[in-house]
Amino acid sequence: MTIDKPGTKNAKSRNTKSRNLTRRSFLETALAGGAAYVSLAHDMSAFAQAGGSIVIGHHCELTGGFSSWGYWHNKCALAAVKAINDQGGIAGRRVELVTEDTESNPATGTRKLRSLVQRNNAAFIVGSVHSGVMLASIPVATELKTVYFSSGEATEATGEKGTRYSFRTGTDTYGLAAAGAPWAFQNLGKTWTIISPDYAWGHSHYKEHKAIIEKLGGKVHDPIFVPLDAKDLVPYLTKIPQDTEVLFSVFFGALSVAFYTQAKSMGLEKTMKMYSVAGTIEAIAPADLKGAAEGVYIVENFPRMLKYKDDAFHRDYLKAIATDDVHGREAGSDKVNAKSHSWQSWENLFALKAAIEKSGWKTKKDDQGVIEALEGLEMANSLGHAQGSKLLRKEDHSGIIDCYISRVENDELHVKKTVSRTEMAQMMPVRFDLSKQPL
Amino acid sequence: MSAAVNRAALLVLAAALLAVPQFLPLLNAGFWTNVVTEILIWSLLATSVNLLFGYVGLLSFGQALYFGFGMYGAALAVTHWNAGFWGGTLAGIVAATLMAVVAGVLAVRLTWHYFAIITVVFSLIFYFAAMSAKPITGGDDGLSFSAPPVFDAFGLKLTLADTVTQYYVVLGLTALCYGLLWLILRSPLGLRFEAVRENDRRARLIGINVYLCRLTAFILAGAVAGLAGALFAFFGRYASASYMFYHVSGEATVWAIVGGVGTLLGPLFGTALLIVFRELVSTVWENYLFAVGALTVLVVMFAPRGLAGLWSDGLAKLSGRSASQPDPQAGAAEAPR
Repeated sequence: MTIDKPGTKNAKSRNTKSRNLTRRSFLETALAGGAAYVSLAHDMSAFAQAGGSIVIGHHCELTGGFSSWGYWHNKCALAAVKAINDQGGIAGRRVELVTEDTESNPATGTRKLRSLVQRNNAAFIVGSVHSGVMLASIPVATELKTVYFSSGEATEATGEKGTRYSFRTGTDTYGLAAAGAPWAFQNLGKTWTIISPDYAWGHSHYKEHKAIIEKLGGKVHDPIFVPLDAKDLVPYLTKIPQDTEVLFSVFFGALSVAFYTQAKSMGLEKTMKMYSVAGTIEAIAPADLKGAAEGVYIVENFPRMLKYKDDAFHRDYLKAIATDDVHGREAGSDKVNAKSHSWQSWENLFALKAAIEKSGWKTKKDDQGVIEALEGLEMANSLGHAQGSKLLRKEDHSGIIDCYISRVENDELHVKKTVSRTEMAQMMPVRFDLSKQPL
Repeated sequence: MSAAVNRAALLVLAAALLAVPQFLPLLNAGFWTNVVTEILIWSLLATSVNLLFGYVGLLSFGQALYFGFGMYGAALAVTHWNAGFWGGTLAGIVAATLMAVVAGVLAVRLTWHYFAIITVVFSLIFYFAAMSAKPITGGDDGLSFSAPPVFDAFGLKLTLADTVTQYYVVLGLTALCYGLLWLILRSPLGLRFEAVRENDRRARLIGINVYLCRLTAFILAGAVAGLAGALFAFFGRYASASYMFYHVSGEATVWAIVGGVGTLLGPLFGTALLIVFRELVSTVWENYLFAVGALTVLVVMFAPRGLAGLWSDGLAKLSGRSASQPDPQAGAAEAPR
């Protein structure tokens, strides 16, 4: 920066100019400047869409009830983008990840989804693990004609409330019931009670498990739904019928901790088998529950212990997200990976990469090609799909994957049964065909 | 002089609001059209707080209840009875108004903190009832729905999926609401409201039915909050019991106070300031509410009559009047008060 002294040639010249500045010349300059800005902004936008970086939005629970999961979804998505960019990006274009916090709140989530698409020009969204946020967001994503990957488990997202734009590589309640309920019915008991939070995820699990258990000839008691803000579960635990053989619990975060510790203090595990899905133990180490989760059976989507899927891809994935291979703890902290769900925030980006490159996508107007490429996409076991090989089923946009039924023993999750994706697909026939919806 | 400046400022504001959907996309900022739409809707909820606190002297922390009834009135009418946009909006207003009648009959018998507490209690009762009535309200998940067209005849179909249409529909209804309130507050009824606010004993002595005045203001405020709720349900294509919770009422109270209670457009300015602030800060800091809180404290400390008060003080200085002297010809931004 230079400063002109008063009386110098430059200063005089500037004074002359300022004296000559008329209202008309000011307006002309301002309008020209404005026009140049608008033109530049349009040009930059066009560059970003046609040949610049590809903006992908991450609709993530950084705060609120699901923040302990959201931390890992964010970490996995950032690591995936780094891995993709290190490999040369998508179709030679750099990937830019823009993250918005849904605050684990459906209303905030829809506002943030609009912000991702309309403010940040995100072309695709890897989305929420919160079922309420996910279900509120799908109509908005559809209205905005934007591909939306969710990782919540309420089956409606790829069912009655699913659209051509909604996808999920992981399991839903339909898939988890198909993977785990027949084995649990044969090995744990025939009379079931479900206890879960009073929102979409729990309701959906009840509906799907009830259908399978009753079809197999078992009995399912009335569900016990617990308000999300409950602290004391004892009034709900005392409602569990005496003849229950299998107590199926579906909780997350602080409610999970409250459930396991209070159920243990009441000695429920002595009279019934405790069965659950991975969501209930996500981001929680059994060791931190001081034995309260000992003996619980859990359906995992991705085994917490490396030794039950011991391959180079799994090892490299754990290295990329800095997680240990026994307890799923983060290197240098006490945080425990929400491993059965957060892999989707990693893999969805690789699924998008495959679909974009297969379809030759350049801008938003080519979205149809990406959607058609995603429908029926086969993903081989690889670093990009470290959870294992899987199919994104064409009709209902659901992930068909291997699942693992594990038991908590000595504070570790040991796999007792692997349910292959073929077995899972046989148990969950297609109920909705989203691929026939117009775009 | 200040009346003329206020009128000119009002015209500039109206022109700016009309130009929003045309101007912002030129700056590659089309998303902000939605933010302004949201500001207009939320300003109605702040206005309902202002109507009670600023004009009748009743501080309500329960306006979210009527907002929620407006949301569900609209959402249920559209999903269950195919009511359409206008039918849904009307259903939302009617539902909120009926709820305000029921709550108001009891609540306006009380004043000051007793009134504030009973409004919170009503809000909590219906919040928990809505959370429990999951088959009807969707509970924690809420109800998502597709917005019906605003107009569909003579080969012309206008839908809320179009950001510009949505903006002008919300702007039109918001302007209509502010216009009606302006008329009411200038009418003898408005003067009665102010008399009750200033001294309810004297008001009673000169023959004003204080209870009826407060009840009328309460129902009117409920209807305005209901319109806000119905519009927000259409804006988000979603209704949720979480909007009935008292923290939503608290936010509306903050917007009204920051903007300036007892002024017609103060809540609009307060809502605009805090929502724009939220949009700018929340993208870089997820704990942005700390900053919103700090900003609110600063405004309350250094501009206790809110943004509208700052505006009128500035005008008073320009015209050589003392800030405390009322301007007999004050315009819409400051008066009626």
